[in-house]
Amino acid sequence: MKKDTKKDNILDIAHVSFLDMIKVMITMGGAANAKGTLIRNALGAAARMREVDYESFEEYLEAMENTTNPVAMVEGKSRHMGDHVFGLAKCPFGPSINNYTAVFKKLPDGYDDFTSEFNKPSRVTDMYRIGEGAGVSPFCAVHQPMRSAVADKITIGGKKIRIYQLGCKSGSGHKGFADKWIKESGVDREVVDKVLDSHMCCYFLSIEG
Amino acid sequence: METADRKKVLIVDDEEDMIWSLQKNLPNDNLQVAILTASSGNEALAILQKTEVDLIITDIKMPGISGIDLLIAARKACPGIAVIVMTAYPSAESKNEVMENGGLCFIEKPFDINQMRCTIRQALHQGSSFEGKVSGLQLTDIIQVNRLSQASTALRIRADGAEGTLYFSEGSIVHATCGDLEGEEAFYRIINFKGGQIEAFFPPTLPETTIDTPVDVLLLKGTMMADEQEQADRHQADGGTADGTGGGPPGVAGGPAAMDFFAKEYGMDELKQLLTEFTGISGVNTACLVGRDGFLLESIALSGVDTEMIGAIASSGFGASEAMGNQLQKGGMSMTMVEYENGPVMLSPVGSEAFLVIIADKDANLGMIRLKIKKHVREIEEKAGV
Repeated sequence: MKKDTKKDNILDIAHVSFLDMIKVMITMGGAANAKGTLIRNALGAAARMREVDYESFEEYLEAMENTTNPVAMVEGKSRHMGDHVFGLAKCPFGPSINNYTAVFKKLPDGYDDFTSEFNKPSRVTDMYRIGEGAGVSPFCAVHQPMRSAVADKITIGGKKIRIYQLGCKSGSGHKGFADKWIKESGVDREVVDKVLDSHMCCYFLSIEG
Repeated sequence: METADRKKVLIVDDEEDMIWSLQKNLPNDNLQVAILTASSGNEALAILQKTEVDLIITDIKMPGISGIDLLIAARKACPGIAVIVMTAYPSAESKNEVMENGGLCFIEKPFDINQMRCTIRQALHQGSSFEGKVSGLQLTDIIQVNRLSQASTALRIRADGAEGTLYFSEGSIVHATCGDLEGEEAFYRIINFKGGQIEAFFPPTLPETTIDTPVDVLLLKGTMMADEQEQADRHQADGGTADGTGGGPPGVAGGPAAMDFFAKEYGMDELKQLLTEFTGISGVNTACLVGRDGFLLESIALSGVDTEMIGAIASSGFGASEAMGNQLQKGGMSMTMVEYENGPVMLSPVGSEAFLVIIADKDANLGMIRLKIKKHVREIEEKAGV
């Protein structure tokens, strides 16, 4: 598809403010504090989503398809690749990143430190089964906990579900793998790699006992 | 109490910080005294010539005449005056010299402010209390009375040929001895005495603080251990073993095994136990271990404190302080304190991934908190894996 350069060159001030605000947070309070703030913000947003029960996994997938599923409502439709492994074709922050880099050429300084911080083991990443290598940008610190926390409000046949973040891909094509969650979920790493060839995000959905 | 009626305490030290700290922290609801200050022995003697003073607290090492010279001169001029001598460089010789020249006691710097208050109250009220015998009371009753009246005193307890002593400072038990035992172990041994004699007295010297657990917790643990001991004794009488496998808790006398038992019984893990080192300090009501991302790892908090929220907010403060240090190339941060009207909040890094938040009342002993942080930070880091 031909790129609409004119449209990309108009800065969306909401995008700029958010992306630059992350940089300011890193400078003023350190990457760890900035990470915590973004995660808490994401969890706060997820807490406002409604609770829902699906009778079956098929009904869950159907709701995903018609975007009434709360997970789809926060990030768009993901595709079921089989064995409860999902791929998300577009990163929800893609438009913001593209808009910013189209004008400023590169993302703000400090983002790499933030991403490393997000990938470190921590109580909150353990609690939501995120990070651990699956972070490829600071936006993952918003997106991944939000999805996992939204999933905490969903049941299938009355049973809780859990999301395991398996991997993620950056705009430049770099793949990040969460080996801890890949191992814990029992999904083959090669499957994750393959899903990430054509998707930006890969996760596993487990229906608890 | 009217200001004019208050007893006068003269503090003599060439360190301005020490004078400022004592002047600010010594007087409280239980110790209403008028504070006079002097920055040298000569200045102190000049004050003594013009003003009737009840008690002198003096440093030893000062320019001009030393604290010991001041003690001798003050006792010569006013034989009834009480003198407490403090020093950062203690030696057996100087201690002997102080005691031989009529000093009330010899205190090493840094000291616990509560203990200093206790000593001052004893010095100012000697001879004005009742003496005698009271029977029919339980030891726990007397401990509770001392706690409620915030007494600074000591109890000598004799039972079955054994003897133990409990030392109180403003109602808190700060030290205990029983035979070879001291600290909490001694307390638990004493609390297990079955009947006996109790004598209250003012100790002549300031005891070292070996107990910082609140009295209520000590009594709860003591009662529980006594119950378990009874069960163990009964079980042993019924043919069981006495090594703890027969039903009773191991180490009921209060050693580390008993502490572990207590921790397990109350679902308190080792990390939480370490945090009680801080909440056991008088005036400290909350201790939290927080990840640098602001998520709480462990806490012991005063009812009503939202520790999750405190962790999140404190991480901003901690992160900002650290960022400022980085910007100014000041190196790693060791500790920071924010002083509010109603008391301080102290933040201290723990490893590279977490930090401690200690919330205290305005009367809390900051020196003691700092010492505890230094003493336990490495252990907390190991237990938390941060």
